[in-house]
Amino acid sequence: MSSLARLIRQTLTIARRDFVATVFTPTFLLFLFAPLMFIGFGAAGSGAAMSITKNSDVNARIVLLASDDQARAAVAADRRLRTMFRPIEQPYPLIVEAPGANPEAQARAIFERKESDTYAVMYGPLDKPQILYSKNGSRSADYLAALADQVLRAQRAGTSASLSEPTRIVVARAGATAGGHSQAAFFAVTGLFMISLLLAGQVVGTMAEERSNKVIEILAAAVPLESVFFGKLVGMFGVALLFLGFWGTVIVNVGSLLPAKLVTAFIDVGPAVGLPMFGLLFFAYFVTAYMLLGAVFLGLGAQASTQRELQMMSLPITIFQVAMWGLASATAVEPDSWLGTAAAIFPFSSPFAMAARAANSPALWPHLAALAWQALWVVITVTIAARLFRRGVLQSGSPRLWLRKKGTA
Amino acid sequence: MSSELAVSATGLVKRFGNRRVVDGVDIAVPKGMIYGVLGPNGAGKTTTLRMLLGIIEPDEGNRTLLGNDRPREVSDHVGYLPEERGLYPGMKTTQAIAFMGALRGLDWRTGRTRAAHLMEAAGLGHATDQKIRKLSKGMAQLVQLLGSVVHQPDLLVLDEPFSGLDPVNQERLETLILAERDRGATVLFSTHVMAHAERLCDRLAIIAGGKVRFEGTVADARATLPFKAHYVPHHPNDGIRALLPTDAMLEGDGWRFTLPDEGIEGTLVKLIEAGYGISGMSIERPSLHDVFVRIVGAKALADSEAAEAEKQP
Repeated sequence: MSSLARLIRQTLTIARRDFVATVFTPTFLLFLFAPLMFIGFGAAGSGAAMSITKNSDVNARIVLLASDDQARAAVAADRRLRTMFRPIEQPYPLIVEAPGANPEAQARAIFERKESDTYAVMYGPLDKPQILYSKNGSRSADYLAALADQVLRAQRAGTSASLSEPTRIVVARAGATAGGHSQAAFFAVTGLFMISLLLAGQVVGTMAEERSNKVIEILAAAVPLESVFFGKLVGMFGVALLFLGFWGTVIVNVGSLLPAKLVTAFIDVGPAVGLPMFGLLFFAYFVTAYMLLGAVFLGLGAQASTQRELQMMSLPITIFQVAMWGLASATAVEPDSWLGTAAAIFPFSSPFAMAARAANSPALWPHLAALAWQALWVVITVTIAARLFRRGVLQSGSPRLWLRKKGTA
Repeated sequence: MSSELAVSATGLVKRFGNRRVVDGVDIAVPKGMIYGVLGPNGAGKTTTLRMLLGIIEPDEGNRTLLGNDRPREVSDHVGYLPEERGLYPGMKTTQAIAFMGALRGLDWRTGRTRAAHLMEAAGLGHATDQKIRKLSKGMAQLVQLLGSVVHQPDLLVLDEPFSGLDPVNQERLETLILAERDRGATVLFSTHVMAHAERLCDRLAIIAGGKVRFEGTVADARATLPFKAHYVPHHPNDGIRALLPTDAMLEGDGWRFTLPDEGIEGTLVKLIEAGYGISGMSIERPSLHDVFVRIVGAKALADSEAAEAEKQP
């Protein structure tokens, strides 16, 4: 058996043990279904927030003090204008009241009414209307001004019907827009960050088990430490894939149930390399991001001798991940800037930055180079982590270099 | 390097800080033998074994394992029981043994089959489906030992294998070591309990202070000390001291002294003629314990034995 085949066999043996030991436990179910708690609490929170907003909107309104003729014209114009707004952007309902002897005093009094929340009141002639509005009612004031303008235009045109009769034709674009590329880039960086934040951090404590059980001596005698480290990374990556596979299936199935309108909202969002290639590249960068960050965390965690030390490491580890995400997302819009190039070259932000580049640029060769570069750094990081472990924890020197050994033989 | 040697080391040195824990150790373990590395606690036995196996690198010196100067290259042919026992508590016993075999290149299926047979043979047949955390310390130790032989290694390295075992399991372990030797494997083990070494070892090295103080067979070791005579007079009297060799020491009712080079007969004739008579007389071959005490010192041995007594179940 060649050295490489032997190394792979040893790595897979460690990976298999770690995968089985992680997956076939009740704790794994907790890990697998943890997002349900996230979704549950998120849904409850947003439901409560929506309910509060809805309750506050029920009493909100804008008021027009106008005579009957003006009122009828204003209501008709209001009906037409509202068709241009999406439901969530609709102005507050328009209430029309007859003006009194002192419209200004009447308007001010309306703001003081307890049974309703008035954001703006308009009174006076429509060519020079007076609009009073609350501090957070400037948009409502703008709307009332536009309404007055619209009523006057209709009156001068002698009709409230639309003067223009457009013919509208839907045109499908050949590809995503430039803005859609940027959005795809941001989604890619954020998506990679989220899954690596959730999953790569799991690796940090895995060597603690071997150290506390003293199994490390058995492993160190049987296989190279590099195999132990790689095996642990691969084993935990298998766990991560299982997690992603499960939730990916759930999301795809839930996505197919979403209304078509929601899907069309994202129609302009698309990667420059095309969706199938982007999917492949996203997965490849997930692998390298997981392996790179995991190798760093594994190396750091292997140095910890107590649970307390492991816990202390969680903050700098999270900050490190957020920093890589921040660096990559800052360059998502401008991948060719010097910062974008730096983020693509720096190995630990490279997967994020290159995923963003796949969304922005159709060129494929940079990805082959980047993946090779990142794979090289996975090897370098694991080798450094294993050497530090050998020196610090096993209290060994490093194996002698081949040349030195031959020279002294 | 001779291909007849399973293990060889020359001038091994390891420093931890300013301390030379191993200070120029030379070892040559012929194939097919049971070889003991004896020494008190802190003598450098474990560090020497870890260097031989390539777990840690020596600061100086060279070593070969099964003819290879890169121990990791032959790790599939080596079995190892470390001094600090370690198993995954959540694993079942047969899985744990198969896993240790898989680390050394044995496929899982064969590993599980052999594990079941080995456990049966070691009297642990009732525990083949149990998790490690459910086992007693001694049983877990035996499981780990079976894990170190499941791939049928050419070289078995055991660091303090008897430590922490009750007498029944110690006997099982001795049987297993002899069986491994009979299978053709070389067994290298460290201990500070002389009785095991005396019964098992074909050759041994005594290490103290990081250096090898003796290397050879058990008979060679004994030959470094003269035979002792133990004489109990029939009619004790103060004047008897003058007729005995100068190193004679009174022990209870009798005297113990080094057997004279010319033999015991002349001394006995003088004692009988002087009327002291003979109530008891024996010639005692020196034990490995005596050799060990002479080499490492009685205090070091007492410290080691006290430490071992604390580990006993």
